[in-house]
Order: sequence, then structure tokens, then C-alpha cells
Amino acid sequence: MTEQINQAINREYEAGFVSDIESETFEPGLDEDVIRRISTMKNEPEWMLEWRLKAFALWQKMEEPEWAHVHYPEINFQDISYYSAPKSMADKPKSLDEVDPELLATYDKLGIPLLEQQMLAGVAVDAVFDSVSVVTTFREKLAESGVIFCPISEAIQEYPELVKKYLGSVVPQRDNYYAALNCAVFTDGSFVYIPKGVRCPMELSTYFRINEMNTGQFERTLIIADEGSHVSYLEGCTAPQRDENQLHAAVVELVALDNAEIKYSTVQNWYPGDENGKGGIYNFVTKRAVCHTSAKVSWTQVETGSAVTWKYPSCILRGDNSIGEFYSVALTRGMQQADTGTKMIHMGKNTKSTIISKGISAGRSNNSYRGLVRMGPRADGARNFTQCDSLLIGGQCGAHTFPYVESKNPSAIVEHEATTSKVSDDQMFLCQQRGLDPEKAVSMIVNGFCKEVFKELPMEFAVEAGKLLEISLEGSVG
Amino acid sequence: MSDWLGRAVSRAEQVSDWLSPQRQASLALLREAQWPTRKTEAWKYTPVHVLADAEFAAAANSELAAAEAIEGLNSIELVFTDGVLQSELSQLPEGLTIVPLADASSETRQWAAEAFSAAKPSKHLFGLVNDVLATAGVIIDVAEGVSIEPVIRIVHRIGKDCEAHNRVLVRIAKNASVTVVEDFSGEEKSFNTGYAEYTLAESASLEHYRFALQTGAALSVGGSHFNLADKAQLNSTLVGFGSELSRLDVDVNHTGEHAFAKLNAIYLLDGNELFDLHSTIEHMVPNGTTEENVRGIVADHSRAVFNGRIHIHRDAQKTLAELNNRNLLMSRDAEINTKPELEIYADDVRCAHGATIAEIDKGALYYLRSRGVSKAQAQIMLSFGFINELVDQMPNQVLAEWLRPQLRQRFANMEVK
Amino acid sequence: MLSIKNLQASVEEKEILKGLDLEVKPGEVHAIMGPNGAGKSTMGYVMSGREGYEVNEGSVTLDGVDLLGLEAEERARAGLFLAFQYPVEIPGVSNLEFMKAAVDAQREAKGEEAVSSKDFLKMAREACKQVHLPAEFLKRGVNEGFSGGEKKRNEIMQMLLLKPKLCILDESDSGLDIDALQVVAEGVNSQRSPDRSFIVVTHYQRLLDYIKPDFVHVLSDGKIVKSGDASLALELEEQGYNWLTEQREQSA
Repeated sequence: MTEQINQAINREYEAGFVSDIESETFEPGLDEDVIRRISTMKNEPEWMLEWRLKAFALWQKMEEPEWAHVHYPEINFQDISYYSAPKSMADKPKSLDEVDPELLATYDKLGIPLLEQQMLAGVAVDAVFDSVSVVTTFREKLAESGVIFCPISEAIQEYPELVKKYLGSVVPQRDNYYAALNCAVFTDGSFVYIPKGVRCPMELSTYFRINEMNTGQFERTLIIADEGSHVSYLEGCTAPQRDENQLHAAVVELVALDNAEIKYSTVQNWYPGDENGKGGIYNFVTKRAVCHTSAKVSWTQVETGSAVTWKYPSCILRGDNSIGEFYSVALTRGMQQADTGTKMIHMGKNTKSTIISKGISAGRSNNSYRGLVRMGPRADGARNFTQCDSLLIGGQCGAHTFPYVESKNPSAIVEHEATTSKVSDDQMFLCQQRGLDPEKAVSMIVNGFCKEVFKELPMEFAVEAGKLLEISLEGSVG
Repeated sequence: MSDWLGRAVSRAEQVSDWLSPQRQASLALLREAQWPTRKTEAWKYTPVHVLADAEFAAAANSELAAAEAIEGLNSIELVFTDGVLQSELSQLPEGLTIVPLADASSETRQWAAEAFSAAKPSKHLFGLVNDVLATAGVIIDVAEGVSIEPVIRIVHRIGKDCEAHNRVLVRIAKNASVTVVEDFSGEEKSFNTGYAEYTLAESASLEHYRFALQTGAALSVGGSHFNLADKAQLNSTLVGFGSELSRLDVDVNHTGEHAFAKLNAIYLLDGNELFDLHSTIEHMVPNGTTEENVRGIVADHSRAVFNGRIHIHRDAQKTLAELNNRNLLMSRDAEINTKPELEIYADDVRCAHGATIAEIDKGALYYLRSRGVSKAQAQIMLSFGFINELVDQMPNQVLAEWLRPQLRQRFANMEVK
Repeated sequence: MLSIKNLQASVEEKEILKGLDLEVKPGEVHAIMGPNGAGKSTMGYVMSGREGYEVNEGSVTLDGVDLLGLEAEERARAGLFLAFQYPVEIPGVSNLEFMKAAVDAQREAKGEEAVSSKDFLKMAREACKQVHLPAEFLKRGVNEGFSGGEKKRNEIMQMLLLKPKLCILDESDSGLDIDALQVVAEGVNSQRSPDRSFIVVTHYQRLLDYIKPDFVHVLSDGKIVKSGDASLALELEEQGYNWLTEQREQSA
């Protein structure tokens, strides 16, 4: 049975193609000069360059974290190119008509048509290709409600006050090794501002694509939901199939002001490497939200890609009555390693957090949940509930749970539970006896296992995520 | 390296006995060891700076009043004062051998040298310190098929300003059974490391108690470690009060199949006390079972640290392992840091852990009050009941009867807010 | 003895009791019946001082003592006893220890001497016997692992020991088979006396076959909408509660 299950899990990576696009790419290497060149390419104001250089100075003194349950060869940061953009993007196309058709074809092939008439009507997309944003759709329509949705490189020029105020306010430059690196070399990403009291009329989404060899992608996303506003945001990511490892070190900062609500969903499908662990993306990401009074931030992630994942989308529940949620499905197979989870920092009174984590390990992969729930001394009446479930498929994988629970408030309540189980022979037999093939059976069982998380995803993407798992599990059943 | 550690190393260099080969290996590691800081994962929440430049008398022989016997307990008492064995060992039951570490026969030395640090993974600094400095100690050997009726109670008492290092090695042969109590108390300024290692052969059975009841300025680091062969049975109860530094490591290694380990632990902290319990359960082979229940009450300015790791190795299919840690936080100035960990490499296992930190259940409080019991008394009854559940499970109720008043005394002093 | 006037109370800002009036004289047994959600359990909780139940209006006095100004334990010491519909389990605290603490606290409040442990054990055993609970239940954790029927009998056992002035039985019949029901009823009946009163809260008439009420009241939407003698209970049994609510709607 296990044999069958494992076969079902080894599948093709459908997004593994390379687009033939002529790019302008920096020589590998990292020093102050490279940072100055990035800043110049982006036509940045002086303050931005200074901010980058300060981060770079900090980064040089920091050490790479070693506490995660992942192993990979040392990264030589001088072997990475820190900027790559399609040549056609050099003179900033004014409209989609001016965008290189090959670029548009790339996104079409990935199932993300960028022509507005072909798109899902309710979704605006920012498409980031290596180090630049190719296009951001529906901007005018959004502007009607006062919503700003644009590449962050543009926001630095157009909305410097907002950027200055909030950039680094949630994830400071010195926060951690990869965040500091990102601060120094980030190239593009999305910027969102939802004005007071506005309910964003469409889903916003960013699609990240790494194409060029030997480049790292360092995107930066900043979302500000002003008082009483509401936004749902989704990101997706893919990369070509290559034998080399590529680094993706992103930073996402969310600011939910009083009574605002941000729903942030991720479907992460970076190239995971082959079944022997060759190639794949190192996904070292810092995502954090700060919630002011009565604000709510909900992180939902479906992680199926990357060779190594190091990612802890977190909430600082600063304001009274604020709410943080983390819903996660992480599937690892082959030689993938994931160390992911969340931090819920309860500072305000009556703050609430919910953590639902579903880890599925197959093949020879290792899948770890790592989390922190901290009840601060002022968090009267705060509550946390955490449920971490692991599903092991086959006897060669690992599933681990490392929850840190810290409380300094006697009226706060923390509950953590973790269980582990396998796809049982009985379950498989039942499904097969009812006429399902093993692959379908496993994917059904796994989908059921993940249901609590999928129901948190926006509708279109829930279907997408379900399919992704199905594809991921294809051929992994024994 | 701290001043204290520097002195410990130079003293260790003078130690020479039949365990020297083992001690030398640990000494080499100790020389390389880092003094724990907040960044040292195993000491993240437990600062050891009180020890860094502390000075103690190494080989004092304090005048301490005789240890009190436990009423109604049929026991063999082994009393260590400042690490030195005071008791006469005569008239032991048949099948039971107890010898001071220094007096081991050549035959005993053979197995004991092998068992030394075999169950204790020497993974941290103070384990290594104990390896190199514990010249005092005792070796207990229970022969095949023998059930030892009396409880072996090892009493450790350390006088003011003294430092003591003690090692207990226990071997329980096939089908044998025994009860061992490790009893630590005292509150005067002192430092001790006390490690006990238990090797259970096939179908051996151990009922174990560790009462880590040192408080105040009595600094204490130690551990109890168990190797379980096929079908071995362990039932262990641990009770901890905190002190300025109190750290305990409990490790269970399932080296044989179908072994069963039940671990209950209680900590009850008050004042400025700190108590740190680390437990590691290694399931190395299939079909093992572990049930671990840890409960704590943390009052006033005290701090509790719990780290409970369950590690299921690749081959350990059909393991059942459960860990539950529940805490009551009684004060705004107190703190609890808990981390249950699962590390699982086998798919056909049933493992779970849970951790809660909460205040006293409001429904239960109301129920008691609705019968006329005052709020303060109801809080004490409920919190005592919370840990008494585990005291009730102690197989030896004579010990439980002895323990309860001491626990109650703590509650009586505890300020319930 | 008991006087409830215009009692209005809410839970989590939802109004449940909307002006409840009830007079109970010494020695009387009053039955409170009503549909689910009428506020029957809330009445008991409000009277006994459960946290989270806010009194907005009205008064509750027991022998002239204003209960609403007292803590839960002070109300108990004033002679109020609530037999819970769902008694909570408290592992680690023995039944005996619990009852001894409760009896001691109540005696102390009255300026009486504490009962010796030996005498108390005797009393407790006797009480257990009366409700057909084996004496070893005294050593077990409060309600821990008890069946539904055992929990209800344990409540009555506590009532026997505490000898309250006013007992509220909150659905003490729910989930009981006929034998257990009889045991509960016998316990209650044995305590009926000219200076002790009962409020029997129940959804069904069945319990009232065994505990004969002097008065029956129908509680609906937070108020007593109809009162009568024991025959009202039979009427309700036959016709259900709908006709009452319909009647009210028509009159409104």
C-alpha cells in the first residue's frame, strides 16, 4: 500500500519551463556597488538607497540562522545575481500592448492571463518577473475606490510618505538574516493601500515568476489597510526546473490599522527540485502583520513547492481585541524540507489567535511545524488555540512539531494540540472497495485532512489548491 | 568559560579512579563546552549566571540533622551528606547489592563502567560536570527475577556553601523489580549535580520517584535517565519545587520492544523560584509505549520551563506516545514557557501532545462557591486537586501521604490572586 | 421565605429574564415548567450568583436577605442550594474533601463549631446511603467519571448534607431512568419540611408524579405566564407549550 501511495506522490512539475526572453542581468556578486546599481535601475530617491545600505551593513554582521530543522549546503551569496529584468522592460511599457508577447505568453501558460478581458473579473494581478513588475491590471478600476495597487518600486516614487512611514515598520531591517538581505537588495513586489472604510472591490493578487538562471528573487510586499478597510490578497509563485538551487528571500509586511481586516493567501509552488533533491528553490521568507485595535489578519498558505522552506507568517496583536489567524497546509515529498509555522504575539487585551496547521510528509521529505504563541503581561483575557496535525505517507519521511508557548498573563488561555497519523490501510481499502483508484483515494483522504484550511481560501483558489495537491500527489500512491 | 567552570575543570583534572577513561572523555568535551546563554536552545529560558562566579566549598562535611524517616515506609535508606554516603549497608535483602562507587568490586566495575553515561546522553554542560566530578555515588544491582520489597530511598542533603556531585547507577536484571526514591531537599546556598542512570533488562520493572524539593538558594542541576530493554516497565513520578536555579533532565530510551514508560511530573512554584524540566523520550525500536503527564502551578514571581521532546526513530513503528502538559498560571508576575516537541520518522505510529496554560476553571470555581466554599479556599482546593490527580496515581500511597502535606503547605503559603 | 420581584437579567448582553415574579413560602414546593430557552436554568444561575449573568433590574430576597448583593458562597451560606443540571467534574478534589469544606464553611458562617472528620464521614456515608451511592464515591474526584444518574444523586447527597432553606432543582430529572428518578425524588421528599422550600425546574411533568408540587408556574420568554396548582402540569403534558405562547400572541 505504502509503495502505491509513494508512487502517487511523485509527479511532474508543470510550471518547470523556461521562457526565452532576453534579459539584462547583473553579474553575480554582492557589494555596496551592486546595491547602488539596483537603486539606480529603480530610479530611487536618496533616502531609499541609504536605507538599503544601512540594511546591508547590518546584514554583513549577522549570522545565518541554524535553528531550523533543515539542511542545505552553505549558500555563497557572491554566486548569486541580484538583478535580472527582461530587456523589453527597460523603457517601461505604458500599456499591455507594449509588453513583450513572450512575457504575456509565459503567464498565459501558467494559467494567469494578463489581458483584462480574459481574466477572472474579480481579480487584479501584479505580475512580477524576476526583478521587475511586468504589469499590474485593473489599476484604474481600483483607483476609483481610492485603492492603490502598484509595484513597490513605483510606490517608492509616487507615494514616498506612505512607504517611508511603513516600510520596515513591521519587519525591521535587523529582524533576521534573510530579512536584512532583502532590505538591502529587494527589487520589486507589490504595494497596496486601502483607504479608510473601503472594502476593496476585487481580490488583489501578485504572481511571482523566477525565470533567469543564477538569480535570486528578493521581492518585497507592503500592504496597508487603513482604519475600517478590508482587503483579500493572494500570491502565487513558480520557477523553472533547474539543477541549481535558487534563492528566494522575500519580505511581506502587513499593517492593519484599527478595525481593518486583511486576508492574505499564498499558494506557493516554487520548483521543489527533483526526487533526489537536485535543484529547487530555497524559500526563506519573512512575513509579518501588525494588528491595531480590533483589526484582523488572516494568513492562509498552501505550500507545495520549494526545496527548502523557512517561513513563519506572523501576527503582532498590538491593539486590544485584535485577531490573528494562521491556516496552513504544507506538503513535502521527494527530498523537500519545510520548516514553517507562525508566531502569534499577544500584546493587547482580549486578543485572539487561531492556528491550524496541516503537514503532509511523503517520500524522503521532512516537514516541521515551528510556532510561537506569546501572551504578554498586558494581554488580559487573551486566547489562543493551536491545532497541528501531521500526516505521514510512507516510512521514509519525517513530521515534526516545535511549538513554543510563553505566557506572562494569568487570565490568558493557551491551548496547543498536536497529533500525527497516517493514511491507513483501512481508509485506502474502503475507498478502493468503493471503486476509487489509489491515487484518487489518497488525494481524497489528503483533501479531507486539509479541509479546515482550504475553506479559508478565496473560492477560485480553493479549487486551485485542491488541484495542486492532487497533482502533487499523483503517482505517490502505493 | 566562567570562573566556576574553570575551577571545576581544574579539580576534575585531579580526579583519578577506575572511571578515569570515561571521565577523561567527558573532560575533553567539557573543555570545549560553551557556557549556556539565552541563545543556547537547552537553556533559552533558564539563566545560569547565578553560578558563573559562585564559589563553594568542594569537600565540606556539613553537620546536618539526621534525615527524617518517612512514617510507615518500609525502606532502605541511603543518606548522602554533601555527596558522601553516610549510611551503613548491611543486611540487604537477597538479590540486592548496593555499593558505594569507590568500593565497587572488579566485577561490578566492568558493567558499571559500561553503564556510566550510557543512559545519560551527557548532552549538556552540567551532565559533563557530573561525569568528571561525581566521585561520590552508589551502585545498585538487582539480581534476575528478584522483587525487592523495601523501597530504596536515596536522600541527598547538601550543607550551606557546599558543592556536591553525585552519581547513582542502577541495574535491574531480567524479571526483577524494585522501587527507588531520589530525594533532594534543603534551602541553604549550595550547588549540586545529581544524576541517576537506570538500566532495565528484559521484563524488568522500576517504580521511580524523584522529589526535587530543594528551594531557596539551593542551586541544583540533575537528571534521571532510563534505558528500557524488551518489555521493561517504568513508572516514574517527579515532583519539583523551584529554587534560584533548579534544572532537571529526564530521559527515557526505548532500546527494547514492547517497553512501557509512564512519566508523571508535578511542579509547584512560588516566590522567585525557577524550575526547568526537560524530558526526552527516545523511541528507537518498534512497539514502545510512553505516557507522559506534566502539570504545573506557577505563582508569585516564579518561572517554570518545560521542554518535552518525543523522538520516534525511523524503525520505531507501532509506537504509542502521548505527552500532556497543563499549567496554571496564578500571578501576573509569574511566567510559564513550555515547548512540547514531536520529531517523527516513522509513519505507523500514534503520537500526540498537548499543552495548555490557563487560570482555574471558572465553572468549577462557581460550583464550589455555590456550596458555600469561599473563593480563596475554592481556588486552593481546585489548584491542589489539579496536581493531586497525579499524586493519586502514585503506586506507593505511603509516599503520597508523606508528600501531600508538603504540597499543601506550599499552597497555604501561596498567595492566590 | 423567597421573594423574587421583577427580575430582569441578561447573558452576554442578551436579555433572558424579562421581569420574573415569584413568592415562595416556607414548606412550599413550586414547579417551574416551560419550553426550552425560556430562561429556566438562567433563573437558578442568576439566583445563585454565577459569573457572566448580569442582573439589570429587580430583587431576590431570602428571609429578608438581599441575595443579589452577595457573593455566590454567601448566598449558599444564606441557605440557597442549586442542584445543577450538568454538575461539573473536578478530578483531584475528592467528594468528601469538598463536602467537608462546604459544611465547615457554612457552619463557620453560622458561628457553629466544625464537625470532626470522624463525625463528618459518618454523616456523609449516611447521605450516600440515602441516595443509593456507594460510600467509595466519597473518595472519588467530585463527579469524576460519574454517570448522569450518579451525578444527579450526588447533587441530592450534597443537599442532604448542607440542609439548605431553599433548594432549586434544575432539571434534576433529565437523563434519568425511572429507578434513578425515584431515588432523586425520595431524597427530595425526605427533606420536605415546614421550614424548607423547593423550586423544581423541569421540562416534563414526569418528575412531578414523584415530587408533588403545591404550585406550578409556566416560564416563557423570561416571564411567568401562567400559574396554577398541580393540575396545570398535567394540562401542559397533554397540550404542550405551544397553546400558551399562541394565547399570548393573540392577546398581544
